[in-house]
Amino acid sequence: MRRAWKIYRLLASQNLKRLMEYKADFLTGAISFLIDQAIGIAFIFIIFSQIPQLSGFTLEQIVFIYGFSQIPKGLDHLLADNLWCVGYFIVRKGDFDKYLTRPINPLFHVIAETFQIDAVGELVVGISLIAYAAPQAGLQLSVVSVLLFILVIPFASLIYTSLKIMTAALAFWIKSSGFIIQMVYGMNEFAKYPTTIYSMPVRIFVTYIIPFAFTGYYPALFLLTGENPWFNIGGVVLISAVLFILSLLIWNKGLKAYESAGA
Amino acid sequence: MIYAEHLRKEFKKTIKEPGLKGSFKALFRPKKEIVVAAEDISFHVPKGEILGFIGPNGAGKSTVIKMLTGILTPTSGECRINGHIPQNDRKKYVREIGVVFGQRTQLWWDLPLQETYLVLKEIYEVEEESFKKRMAFLNEVLELDSFIKSPVRTLSLGQRMRADIAASMLHSPKVLFLDEPTIGLDVVVKDKIRQAIMKINKEEQTTVILTTHDISDIELLCDRIVMIDKGKNVYDGSLQKLRENYGQIRELHFETDPESPLTEEQFRQGLPLKESELTIEQDKQTFKVRFNSAAIPVGDMLSHTLSVTRVKDITVRDADVEEIIRRLYQEGGQADE
Repeated sequence: MRRAWKIYRLLASQNLKRLMEYKADFLTGAISFLIDQAIGIAFIFIIFSQIPQLSGFTLEQIVFIYGFSQIPKGLDHLLADNLWCVGYFIVRKGDFDKYLTRPINPLFHVIAETFQIDAVGELVVGISLIAYAAPQAGLQLSVVSVLLFILVIPFASLIYTSLKIMTAALAFWIKSSGFIIQMVYGMNEFAKYPTTIYSMPVRIFVTYIIPFAFTGYYPALFLLTGENPWFNIGGVVLISAVLFILSLLIWNKGLKAYESAGA
Repeated sequence: MIYAEHLRKEFKKTIKEPGLKGSFKALFRPKKEIVVAAEDISFHVPKGEILGFIGPNGAGKSTVIKMLTGILTPTSGECRINGHIPQNDRKKYVREIGVVFGQRTQLWWDLPLQETYLVLKEIYEVEEESFKKRMAFLNEVLELDSFIKSPVRTLSLGQRMRADIAASMLHSPKVLFLDEPTIGLDVVVKDKIRQAIMKINKEEQTTVILTTHDISDIELLCDRIVMIDKGKNVYDGSLQKLRENYGQIRELHFETDPESPLTEEQFRQGLPLKESELTIEQDKQTFKVRFNSAAIPVGDMLSHTLSVTRVKDITVRDADVEEIIRRLYQEGGQADE
């Protein structure tokens, strides 16, 4: 574990050093990122100020759900962004060879290699929205509920990461799976809003098939109502564990199918 | 040390007609074909040996190396290195090997070269003390000092290759796999790389498997060669034995006087040689004759030539290893023993 942490820090810092190697690009990126986030937040408020009520939720409650959904998403984005590259080109170009000839778990190696600071935006937006909405959203606060709420965040992120691992691993067979990752990942849009606004088939889909609802709406609902902890919180833990195990199985099977590319 | 037994690797390939239209067709009705990159490759390498693994382009060399290094899983057959099966035992196994693919780099592209070594030091858990010693050794042989602070993207091909070789040797591997380590390099750099390989082999009994198209690499480095073609073993033995078997071939070049014309038929007459022991290429007055000197002594061949025609110029050459290998490549599977 300590060794993993050490290697992680080392690889991630290489990535940051790389970003700073090209200063002009880095600074431009940082500035445009700040502008982007400011516009994003403004936009959310414009939209929500037009919808005072949605499926029985007040504006503040919807903002709270929306804000919360950004946090697991941002964490996954921050830590596991390199999986996209596996799907888009690392496998197709044969560059995956490198990960297989080093004495580190290849999945860990791929993930540790990038530290996507863009994701800080999602986290900042998420936390700001929660901070804005929380006082008026009528949260059911207790020590236990807050604790559960915080503990559930990494599991919710793991749902994102597992879905990305699974879809990225398809590239081991079909060479390029970037668009598949994108399609599945894109479903996270559904997590930002109460599932009750969707029709039944969509609701079942985002709850049980590609369970993004567990990365946003359900855990947020728990803090709003204090109800159904087994489903709203327990569900996240269970589903993330199942998905993660499944994704590892697919990934490991994929490693054996990997075909490299001509020298 | 290294055992490869009947290694076979198949790839599935989608056959496409050319053009965008063909690509669309293949998208909806793919025609699959199985390509056999390695059909049946077996050999073993004892500890401390430098093995030249050679064959023409597309023979399956890289595929075999990738199976041995655990990158590819064999379709059938087995390899075992230091008692490890690479695919099952990956993490432990790769700690003991070093790998260089000449066409790719494992260096951190955007950062100064020394950053790569610092990261590899941690990844392979090399002790501070032995890391220092190792870097000193690699610096001495490969002369990395002059560019170790430069970003990798600014290195020349020769510098990059030296840096990559050093990276593969950093953790004192027991086996080194070098896939075309001298490709595209000038003589000086080639020599440095050969020095490094030889030194590490001598001092640490590192086993080396090396693929190359450079005959001097083989002559200078390799104790033994394994040659493959079309995914099968073609030759396995020492370079010396190869020379003994095929090295009796001599090449006679001569140019006849225009006033003393000669045909192939006339030249062949009176020579006690079978069809296979003699090849003649004629281009007007110039003749290139290849013959087996075990069947006819060089002196006899010379006097025969001088007796049938008047020559303006004549030379006799040893068939060099390059020539031998070219012949072997051409003969393919027939030259098994």
